[in-house]
Amino acid sequence: MIDTPTACARIAEDLLAAAIGEASPTAAQRVEHHVARCGSCRREFDGFRALDGTVAALRREPLPSEQVAHARERLETRLADLRRRLLAYRIFPSALGHILIARSELGIALVEYLDRGTSLQSSRLGREPGVEAVEGGPELETAYRDLLEYLAGRRRRFEWPLDLRLARSDFQRSVLHATSAIPYGAVTSYAGLAQDVGKASASRAVAQALRWNPLPIVIPCHRVIGTSGALTGYAGSKLGLKQRLLSVEGIPTTVGAISPSIRSEAMYVLYPGDREYCVPTCSSLGTRQPAPLTRFASREHAEAAGFMPCTACRPDLHPISQ
Amino acid sequence: MSQGAFDTVVSAHHEEIFRYLRRVIGAGGDAEDLSQETFLRAYRAFGALPLDANVRAWLFSIATNLAKNYYRSETRRRRAYGEVRATMREGAGPAPEAELISRETGALVEEIVQRLPLKQRLAFTQRKIHGLEYDAIGQSLGCSAESARAHVFQALRKIRQGLDGHGRVSEEPPR
Repeated sequence: MIDTPTACARIAEDLLAAAIGEASPTAAQRVEHHVARCGSCRREFDGFRALDGTVAALRREPLPSEQVAHARERLETRLADLRRRLLAYRIFPSALGHILIARSELGIALVEYLDRGTSLQSSRLGREPGVEAVEGGPELETAYRDLLEYLAGRRRRFEWPLDLRLARSDFQRSVLHATSAIPYGAVTSYAGLAQDVGKASASRAVAQALRWNPLPIVIPCHRVIGTSGALTGYAGSKLGLKQRLLSVEGIPTTVGAISPSIRSEAMYVLYPGDREYCVPTCSSLGTRQPAPLTRFASREHAEAAGFMPCTACRPDLHPISQ
Repeated sequence: MSQGAFDTVVSAHHEEIFRYLRRVIGAGGDAEDLSQETFLRAYRAFGALPLDANVRAWLFSIATNLAKNYYRSETRRRRAYGEVRATMREGAGPAPEAELISRETGALVEEIVQRLPLKQRLAFTQRKIHGLEYDAIGQSLGCSAESARAHVFQALRKIRQGLDGHGRVSEEPPR
């Protein structure tokens, strides 16, 4: 029996699918039966099959390798340029308000408190010259989790690679490097930091450099205070945040004061260059030149940073009574 | 956004994406520009790409979107058509007669493909030249897998009709 034209129309879709090898086994079988009895559909089937072969040959046609190599080379140049410029960011909620974290291929490049909104527009990232900001992915969540752990007092160090390109000058970078070395649970003064970077009279410039710290919390500029012990300033006018970060690390501060400061009488001290820490009343301190001191919240913090109890005042035997 | 991971993506897929765009845009500098743009866009979004994403299909999707935007300009479309014809001729060297015939048929197929409506051309090229799944093709074209398949089938029918008109109905496929 010859199939009717209706049968041919019904099988047309399967016929094409079968000719190019995309039909299900049942459909292919149906097509096989049909074309065995229908000459015009047989020709149709063969035609599509031949076409499929021609197309397969096109698929194998090689592209001149020098063209590919040339195109690849130009792509690599443009990619390298983009890699230099690109920062991927995410904005996260935190106990300190919304925080933007941005990273490049080199490392975390920006941690920013967003005061005026929760979008890129409220960040300095959009205004940085030579930077292209794109929304980042899960890799930034690790950094965010680490920050939350720090704020909850469960983390003391950040093991992230850092990218300091957003620092404004080599001087600022050197200040940031010196700030990174201040141990957890300790404070030093702007004057002390100025000495550390070899510019003893530049404490004002040091303060300015820290004001634009692109990586607050991570580079702990909150551990830098005035010589008098006053907290002085933080990221513009965020003294409350500074006090909060210090208290996370156990550093005692005056509560309710107009100008908050650390309670230096309740902290252990370290004279510059010493390996031993003292109680603040240690007699050895009085016999030395006045110098910017590093202060520790506790003996444990001082010893975790590698310092020993002073053999004169013996803070191990006579700790400060809190 | 790890550098090594994206380098692997470039090494694995650059040539194929470049070929794809040459086929749908033409061999002039525009195809190269668009293939670069594909990878620059991919790099920007790479960090946010889910770990289990099909990177190859994703790149095709970016390239396809760029091609669609490119063809929004009608004058460009005409210019590119001229370029594709030029590319097809440039590849042909001396060859035995049988190969010459099949090569001519191939060139004819390419010519007909260039005249297909854009979605059919993009779907056909992704499926029949690059072997992508219909799901991925549908995603790149903003339609369902079924519609993507319909575009490919429609393209094949039109190519056959076009070959019929040149008396090349049932040649044996080249082996």
